[in-house]
Amino acid sequence: MSLIDLKGIEKHYELGKTTVTALRGVDLTVDKGEFTVVTGPSGSGKTTLLNIIGCLDRASKGTYVLDGTDVSDRDFDDLAEVRNQKIGFIFQSFNLIPVLDVAENIEFPCAVRKNPEDAGKLRARVNQLAKRVGLEPYLHHKPDELSGGQRQRVAIARALITEPRLVLADEPTANLDSTTSESIIDLMLELNKEQGVTFLFSTHDPRVVKHAKRALHIQDGRIADGAGH
Amino acid sequence: MALFKLAVRNLRRNQRRTAITLVAMVVGVTGMVGLRGFINGQQDVLLENIIKGRLGAVQVHRTGYVKNVLTSPLQLDMADTPELRGRLSAAPHVIGVSPRIEFGAMVSTPDKRPQPEDGSDLPEADQGKTSFFLATAIEPESESKVTPRRHGLINKGGRMLPSADAPELVLNDEFARGLEAPVHPAGAPMPPIEQQLALLAGDRDGALNGENMVLGGTLPSFSAGDKRIGVVPLAVAQRVLRMEGHVTEYALALDDYTQADAVRDGLKAKLGPDYEVHTWAELFPFIKSLTGTQDFIFSIITGVFFTVVLLGIVNAMLMTVLERTREIGTMLAVGMRRRQIIRLFLFEGVVIGTVGALLGLSVGLLLIAFTHSRGIPLPAPGANVESIVRPWVSGRFVVGVLLGTPLGAALATLWPAWRASRLRPVEALASA
Repeated sequence: MSLIDLKGIEKHYELGKTTVTALRGVDLTVDKGEFTVVTGPSGSGKTTLLNIIGCLDRASKGTYVLDGTDVSDRDFDDLAEVRNQKIGFIFQSFNLIPVLDVAENIEFPCAVRKNPEDAGKLRARVNQLAKRVGLEPYLHHKPDELSGGQRQRVAIARALITEPRLVLADEPTANLDSTTSESIIDLMLELNKEQGVTFLFSTHDPRVVKHAKRALHIQDGRIADGAGH
Repeated sequence: MALFKLAVRNLRRNQRRTAITLVAMVVGVTGMVGLRGFINGQQDVLLENIIKGRLGAVQVHRTGYVKNVLTSPLQLDMADTPELRGRLSAAPHVIGVSPRIEFGAMVSTPDKRPQPEDGSDLPEADQGKTSFFLATAIEPESESKVTPRRHGLINKGGRMLPSADAPELVLNDEFARGLEAPVHPAGAPMPPIEQQLALLAGDRDGALNGENMVLGGTLPSFSAGDKRIGVVPLAVAQRVLRMEGHVTEYALALDDYTQADAVRDGLKAKLGPDYEVHTWAELFPFIKSLTGTQDFIFSIITGVFFTVVLLGIVNAMLMTVLERTREIGTMLAVGMRRRQIIRLFLFEGVVIGTVGALLGLSVGLLLIAFTHSRGIPLPAPGANVESIVRPWVSGRFVVGVLLGTPLGAALATLWPAWRASRLRPVEALASA
């Protein structure tokens, strides 16, 4: 059962009078529950591909069906809704909100929903998730009181709090030391197994690639390897 | 997570910038409150000097009097009856009724020495002077209730008219100095007739009549345009003008001069078409235009003040947007909608505006309370007598500042907020 279905995706950027093509007709299917990495050299188009899959950007051409819904032509607020409901993000620089503590950062995507759930129930889920990622003692710490690994765990918990179909991680271990990277990868693998959430990574890190069940290689805006099953 | 809570925390994040923005707001609001308070106090002094020093709050005349005041004011007189006075006194808010005759008069001073026996003319410097002035004939007792300020301002060594039939008059001090007329000491015997002043006026038939008087006291100028005025006893004026038992106007004192319009309307209905009733504002439109001009200038000054302060907020918020671009990108990425981003920044503007308004109002009101209790000695415009200005602001103004400042701050935040909301998540996340 496919979660992501991309067909003929192209992405062009206008830079002054020049048109730069980042993706040249990408076809890709990712099934539910997969743990997939996207690799490729800098400028190959992997971040652009992840941005389109994450509904952070729109393709210039082609169709994108996410979880059975065509999101190719959705407007800005619709895409925000899709991101909030179906996608969790883990960023290379963690991107936590500095004025919020750990618990508030984790619950943030749920708190900004049109109809936020009951605060008590939400906080219970936050506590449970924090416990799962090993952050229970730090719930009321601010991000600047945490280590890099702890911050990335907060980001993982934040990505999972909405119970998304897909978690996108853009080089999640790039700012972490090797031990912490291992533990973060292990954590994501466990969560993938336990909760059946689909993980899609972009990475340069061979340690991450070796754990992946599927690896896609992008070069010159095309998937050079691993697009099929 | 309520956006409001997040907005408050964001403001505490860069405390120095927030403090600078707040200080600018506090200075702006304090300045605005202080200036408004001072203008209010000064306008009060101006009005008090005019209303309680000269006009009264409301005046009643025979119909057509005000229109013809320059041509035939004495023809439009009224019988001064207890019944009419009673009707005026019975009107709501009226606390004093003073009958008057306003008329053009001349005052002549005696020659400084007798005519030479050889029949030659006296040198000009020794000749008496005759000058025109605008006389108001009053009953001192009734008038003291209507224009208490005038009664309290008689210059040292002089006195207000002791009775409605006393052979004394009171003149503006500059006018009296010009005439070289000395104030006659109280209780001293009347000087010989050749050393007395002469009050001269034409009656309704054009005949010139006069009475001998002394200068009982002088008044400083306490409102604009009162340099050639004088006050004479009503009974004396009625004799000179051949108008015994008649007056040309009643000046009324009110317990609250802001009720003048209502009192005018009530009296118009009560007195009927033979009489006309005017408020101080109608009789002295200069005051309205002066206070209106002051209010207009105040609006311009506060508008400029406020704009500068709001531009400070715009600048601070634009810097905030710039600094938080990646954070905004993260918020958009996890599903925050554009209007929520706008709301977040608007909340920040409203919070800083509210705190700025509260602090500025507190400082401003303390300043007003202090200066109100101490009083600021200052002459009213056009006057050379010192008045005590007591600044104040209305509750309506306070509410206006309290609501307007956060609203202004929110409006100032609108543009930076809109810019933040238009960021594309991809670009915002990629920013440094």
